[in-house]
Amino acid sequence: MERENRLWRVILLALPVAVFAAFVVWPLASSFYYSFTDWNGFNPDYDFVGFDNFLKIHTDKLFLNATINTAFWIVAAIVVPTALGLGLALLIDSRIPGGPVFKSIFYLPICLSAVVVGQIWVWIYQPDWGLLNTVVEAVSGENFNYAWLAKPDSALWSVILAWSWQQTGLSMVIFLAGLTTIPEELLEVCEIEGAKAFQRIRLVVIPLLTPATVVVIALNVINSLKGFDILYTMTGGGPFNSSDTLAMHMYNESFKKYLMGYGSAISVVLFLIALTIIRLYFRQLRKVDELHG
Amino acid sequence: MITLNRRRVLATMAVVPALLLGAPAFAQGGDVTLTHYFTGEFGLKIFNEQVAKFEAATDYTIKNSPIGHEDFKTDILVRAAGDSLPDVFSYWAGARTQFVVDSGSLHTIDDMWARDGLDNVVAKSVADSATMYNGARYLVPFNYHYAGMFYNTQVLADAGVTEMPTTWDGFLALCETLKGKGVTPIALGSKNRWPAQFWFDYLLLGTAGPDYRAGLMNGSASYDDAEVKAAMAMWKDLADKGYFAANANADSWTDASDKVARGDAAMTLMGTWITGYWNGLGLEPGTDYDFFPFPAIADGVPVSVVGPVDGLVISNDGENRAGAEAFLSFMMSNADVQASWTGAYGALSANVNVDPANYNVVMQRVSGIVAGADNFAFNYDLATPPPVAEVGLSMFSRFMDDPSKVDDILAQVAADAAQAFTE
Repeated sequence: MERENRLWRVILLALPVAVFAAFVVWPLASSFYYSFTDWNGFNPDYDFVGFDNFLKIHTDKLFLNATINTAFWIVAAIVVPTALGLGLALLIDSRIPGGPVFKSIFYLPICLSAVVVGQIWVWIYQPDWGLLNTVVEAVSGENFNYAWLAKPDSALWSVILAWSWQQTGLSMVIFLAGLTTIPEELLEVCEIEGAKAFQRIRLVVIPLLTPATVVVIALNVINSLKGFDILYTMTGGGPFNSSDTLAMHMYNESFKKYLMGYGSAISVVLFLIALTIIRLYFRQLRKVDELHG
Repeated sequence: MITLNRRRVLATMAVVPALLLGAPAFAQGGDVTLTHYFTGEFGLKIFNEQVAKFEAATDYTIKNSPIGHEDFKTDILVRAAGDSLPDVFSYWAGARTQFVVDSGSLHTIDDMWARDGLDNVVAKSVADSATMYNGARYLVPFNYHYAGMFYNTQVLADAGVTEMPTTWDGFLALCETLKGKGVTPIALGSKNRWPAQFWFDYLLLGTAGPDYRAGLMNGSASYDDAEVKAAMAMWKDLADKGYFAANANADSWTDASDKVARGDAAMTLMGTWITGYWNGLGLEPGTDYDFFPFPAIADGVPVSVVGPVDGLVISNDGENRAGAEAFLSFMMSNADVQASWTGAYGALSANVNVDPANYNVVMQRVSGIVAGADNFAFNYDLATPPPVAEVGLSMFSRFMDDPSKVDDILAQVAADAAQAFTE
């Protein structure tokens, strides 16, 4: 009986393991392999170049630019949706009129694909007739046609705003779920003891929301690392690399310059960065688990 | 165990010769896999009609996989990496095809070219520039385009312009006239970078000539040479005078085309595919829009025309080479296919048997301009290796963002391009 169960376990595990191996492990191993070559993607012949691709990374100005942008992207893509999601959750939880309706509206963008969200915001940012400039014109009464996505100073931040618009709803829903676990009596006691609303939030609600916050941050970290499609749709890394992230830089080097070996080296570095962030996150998660049981 | 009897022997005697006789017919048919980027709503429909003509004329079946223009560049590389290139795919003649040829991914078509007499079909100028790589033929020029100054006829008429400029001074005067009438002279949609390349191409070809430009494209000249600085200075002059519509980097080529079509700008430097786009919007060639060639700049410099050639190539690891060759030969040499395709797609045919009367009035004049030019040059991103093209294309959008930084931009690009040529 036990032997039959073990056989079933192996059979049932075989398919997902095979899929994981084919679509995750094998491409990952291939990237490591090609990162040590000068393969151009087309030519079946290539040479091993040792660590040349990794050494080139040190002198690649665009890599440095992409790394800085990636750091901005990850930090902003974590902080903004988390903060906005928490704020909206607290507002809706305070039983404002129409709360359930607002909850649905704010959650809606997460149901859209990043490409659709990107295109919506491309229209919003359009300099001549986009919603944003039209509103600015209406308020200021002056002609305003700033090209948000075409200017290097604003392109990345404009995409981060669009990204945050989409991701905030998810954070909000998780925080709302977390808020339901906070005992009403505890908040009433605080109120009786004279704690103001801000103090209640800072000293009671936010600490008790730690498990939800960990989940929100984890999801935002993972989603931000995957945030290639919205950047590709909205700016393609431009103008002139000002919104390049490491994923976009890897794509450009591999598929536009046909430097597949170098692109693979960038992907390896990106993988190691993601691995480091995820390890830090799991370490933090363990601490939270120990603290909150 | 199979036992022999008279019926089985007779059946075998009948079937075996039939199979043997049928074998050549089977070898001449079968599926031919095809991937291409002719995917605009209108273009795809017309292209599919031409494919249907091939299928009707032969025993082959085309397994057709159209992919959007920009995605195609990635897709074909991914398929090459996975050894799964289709039998036939469309590709841009010039440096990109050279790159694929150097990678050993293409099948030479010299035998097919000679067997099917394509020397008598393909215009020599196009055949010489677009089909030969490393001394062998690899590509049939399915169609080609030309970049010219396309304008809104009503806007120019309203501004009192009756004569189109043929010199640089005349062009500057036209821009000044338009600006004085409150019309934005030039629309440029450089969001995707490549539309800006035609300005660089024509200014450099018109001042430094095709030989110098060829040197810049192959790395023997530098982006901080006086010739490049002079061409960029002329471009900067246009920008400084406010002749370009604001926020070029925010607009795609269709946005810029729309501005001209609506009359928000007077003209745009674009390839002949704009005629297909405008015709699709219901604009009437020669009535609603027209074109003039990029004006001559310096005396004694050969007249160049610029544009891409869309080719069809055969992959080295395809499974139906006979079918692939039959497809290329048919699509190139069948005058009806060429006429239908180029007439509808807003392109020119390299097939000498296509009657120019097939084109609309604008394209007929384009055809004459191209035929009379001294030199047909591939546009920038098809003339220089892909890693260098990436550097240059970014330069154009940087320049359009802030033309005052042109010297810094050129110094940087000179270093980056030199590096890219070594990759």
